[in-house]
Amino acid sequence: MPQLEVSPEIDFHSETYRDAYSRINAIVIEGEQEAHENYIQLTELLPEHKDELIRLSKMEGRHKKGFEACGRNLKVTPDLDFAQKFFANLHHNFQEAAAEDRVVTCLLIQSLIIECFAIAAYNIYIPVADDFARKITEGVVKDEYTHLNFGEEWLKANFAEVKEELEAANRQNLPIVWRMLSQVEDDARTLGMEKEALVEDFMIQYGEALSNIGFTTRDIMRMSAYGISGS
Amino acid sequence: MFGLIGHLTSLEHAQSVAKELGYPEYADQGLEFWCMAPPQIVDTITVTSVTGQTIQGKYVESCFLPEMLASHRFKAASRKIINAMSHAQKHGINITALGGFSSIIFEKFNLQQIKQIRNVTLELKRFTTGNTHTAYIICRQVEQASQQVGIDLSKATVAVCGATGDIGSAVCRWLDTRTNVAELLLVARDQERLQGLQAELGRGQILSLEEALPLADIIIWVASMPKGVEIDPAVLKQPCLMIDGGYPKNLATQIQFPGVHVLNGGIVEHSLDIDWRIMQIVNMSIPTRQLFACFAESMLLEFEQWYTNFSWGRNQITVENMDKIGEVSVKHGFQPLLL
Repeated sequence: MPQLEVSPEIDFHSETYRDAYSRINAIVIEGEQEAHENYIQLTELLPEHKDELIRLSKMEGRHKKGFEACGRNLKVTPDLDFAQKFFANLHHNFQEAAAEDRVVTCLLIQSLIIECFAIAAYNIYIPVADDFARKITEGVVKDEYTHLNFGEEWLKANFAEVKEELEAANRQNLPIVWRMLSQVEDDARTLGMEKEALVEDFMIQYGEALSNIGFTTRDIMRMSAYGISGS
Repeated sequence: MFGLIGHLTSLEHAQSVAKELGYPEYADQGLEFWCMAPPQIVDTITVTSVTGQTIQGKYVESCFLPEMLASHRFKAASRKIINAMSHAQKHGINITALGGFSSIIFEKFNLQQIKQIRNVTLELKRFTTGNTHTAYIICRQVEQASQQVGIDLSKATVAVCGATGDIGSAVCRWLDTRTNVAELLLVARDQERLQGLQAELGRGQILSLEEALPLADIIIWVASMPKGVEIDPAVLKQPCLMIDGGYPKNLATQIQFPGVHVLNGGIVEHSLDIDWRIMQIVNMSIPTRQLFACFAESMLLEFEQWYTNFSWGRNQITVENMDKIGEVSVKHGFQPLLL
């Protein structure tokens, strides 16, 4: 969302900015990489949807390349070690669920949490991005909005059977998101992105997804705020 | 489908309402959380006109709180309003009123420059400030409540506090052209705007609040601010009619003095019960029938299927449009709240 006041001029080439960018850019690259791999892994759990999942996986791979170019444009080396640790908890929970054939939990982590987190971050980033990254990010967001959200639709179609597991997966994973956001609060601020705007956008995206799947407003308010006070 | 974008009056109020409605996740949170909380549709409303027509609406809680303005969290305040508007549009609501501080924030922070909210392109014709109906109702309250307390308008001095605002200027235009009010006192902070209004009306005395209060038989309060002002009732005339059309309404609790009659301004009473829960928590004395006139405007626009931003921008309310909304207000069974 556009910022209310004109933000102070951002020096995209300053040491401070590039240092923060090395972590944020790495998170975005890693996030797209996780998504790429997660969709491939989901083909094993949902073989009847293989073609669609492979298509999504390729799309996420393209997004990753776009963000790598953003880093190169600012001559920043992404801190991928940091990013892998950043995603470690969600990664672990996804792998554990996949190993136990818990497709609902896998879809909550990938299609709801990671997707909503990404879209929220991109929306808040666009108004404060450098020209090159803005174009790339706008393209990615357009892609995300135009493709029918696979996970959302699958969960909606199976709502009655998956509701309970979704709630449990929400309790397990949403607090991780709040911790992840707090962890990068300072770096995000250096890039002109405020934590409260990120959280709000995430809750809007996540709430819309839960609503589309079939949850009531009451469920959504309870689920989307779960664990936030401890963050 | 009509919509209402509303908010609660304070953090304390928000916490107690969340508790009452059974949202413990929201009830235990401080201002920080409300600055991050997304808009929610928390009520579905059915309104029946005295003509028999029935319409449906939704109440969008923006999660804005006045403390956000008081603590200069202007970005958070603006996000609340713009996100609530986007939420209303996404849910296919045809016409939505911006209640309470919502329209003030929209105007003050120039939010019309924000066209794109995520994947929603805001269509401003789907929104109304509701100010035309509010101004109309306040004027009708002046005309009718003055009779109740024995004030003859043709001999009365009327002070309009907040005269240069959207509602204040409309009230001045109506009093000038549709009533025989003896004297108009124009009170506001911006001298340049006051002079512009005086020139437009071709009458009215520009005074400070302190100067105007002791002279007025009727005081119309249409200024909105996060914190109210202190008024010493001892300086007021007796009888004195005060119409509290500002937001939030706090004059009635502040001023309890013999001969001073305080009426909540810009409030309508519907002739039939409205099926909703939300008004029970905004402290109306008859929650099934009383509501803000700005909210009622979106209902009227829905009844008449006038899907347009009937009230928009600043100081563009004409007496003709007040007539027009007034006519349908009466037609569908809304009456101004009286003493």
